[in-house]
Amino acid sequence: MTGIHADIDALKGLHDALVRYRNAQRDVAARGEDQLAATRASLAAKASRLRAQLELGQAEYSACQDRAAQADPDEPVDCSGYARAVQQHSEQLEQIRVWQQRVDAEAGEFSGTAGRFAGLLENDLPRMEEHLVAVIASLEAARRVRAPVP
Amino acid sequence: MTARPDQDGDQQLRLLGDAWDKAAEHWRDGPARQFGTAQLTPLLQESRCYLEALRKLMDLLETAERETDG
Repeated sequence: MTGIHADIDALKGLHDALVRYRNAQRDVAARGEDQLAATRASLAAKASRLRAQLELGQAEYSACQDRAAQADPDEPVDCSGYARAVQQHSEQLEQIRVWQQRVDAEAGEFSGTAGRFAGLLENDLPRMEEHLVAVIASLEAARRVRAPVP
Repeated sequence: MTARPDQDGDQQLRLLGDAWDKAAEHWRDGPARQFGTAQLTPLLQESRCYLEALRKLMDLLETAERETDG
């Protein structure tokens, strides 16, 4: 019996595999989008933190420069530490801005491919599944017709 | 630890390929060839293309996170 219906069983297995594939890849696509959103949010949060640190650093540096301007020439005020901190925060902020642009560019490029794949999952795959169901039904009907009368 | 989505997608693609190989052992008529050529092969190709793009994007996101830490 296994040999006679092996093709039908194999087609049913393929049909089930296609259904599982569609659901699993939908999940994969959703997780990819979630990861993109998470990274964008993370970069935005880092940029926000750095902007606050930069503003604070600039205020401290400015206050130091004021103190330096009013200081006794024999006791100069060293503001280089504040200057370095401002420079460092500024560079880090710029680095984040560059990464945000790269992520946006890559995500834009990715969206075309992702859109085609989503269309395939939503439209083409269900049609393939329906096609297989029809083939299976046709084979089963043919076997019933050919089955010997007891 | 959760696998990256592109890696899970690759695994699903392998499973579908295995299912097709198994089905093709028993389903070998004209409609089978037509199904393989006209429907399954484009699906597998488009899937590979998507998963490669997803892998690139996930690599970039990981690098972006790493490079902007600290």
